[in-house]
Amino acid sequence: MNLFRSEEHLQRWLGGREPGGTTSVAKLSELAHAWWDDRFSPDWVPHTREQNQAILDSLGLSGSFWQLA
Amino acid sequence: MNGADLDLRRRTYAFMVDNGRAPQAEELGTREDVVVGWRRLHDAHALVLNPATDEIRMLNPLSAVPTAYRVHAAGRWWYANCAWDAFGVCAALHADGRIEASCPDCGEPIAVEVRDAKSDDESLLFHVLVPARHWWDDIVFT
Repeated sequence: MNLFRSEEHLQRWLGGREPGGTTSVAKLSELAHAWWDDRFSPDWVPHTREQNQAILDSLGLSGSFWQLA
Repeated sequence: MNGADLDLRRRTYAFMVDNGRAPQAEELGTREDVVVGWRRLHDAHALVLNPATDEIRMLNPLSAVPTAYRVHAAGRWWYANCAWDAFGVCAALHADGRIEASCPDCGEPIAVEVRDAKSDDESLLFHVLVPARHWWDDIVFT
């Protein structure tokens, strides 16, 4: 899960491999804040798979690549 | 995950946030009891142990070992496990921050300021190589 300077840099790094999932940094920040916001809370309880999938779905990260186990 | 496991997890994370490093098992209780609890938390994906040593490897989004993603937030430098977790450090601390990394392709430095949960550089691209259903097959590689 890496940051690249541009699409050109990503494609060169992939070197012909199939790309995985790609998003803007704006969406990454939204995702991270939705996913990790409660992680240091003393009242933290585990997210369910459904809760985490809902976070991905709410940001348009859908399709088979983004389906959690 | 029972109440005792959740309490051990809470104390483990609190130690990391307070001290800027992961605890040794002995710092939280009897080593054997703590390690047994950590193993249950590892199996539940609530933290990640180094299986060879039973030491903490990840308290997601924080890394207990140096990585390519450094984050300055809440008055301290932290290591994150990946780009997602780097933003997650700011999110979990509820703080603005600065992320420093390098482009995996060219090695040029990347620096991102996070203010009010937003990045100051929208030109960058985030890429995930491993499909979500396989993230926990090998979380260190992911």
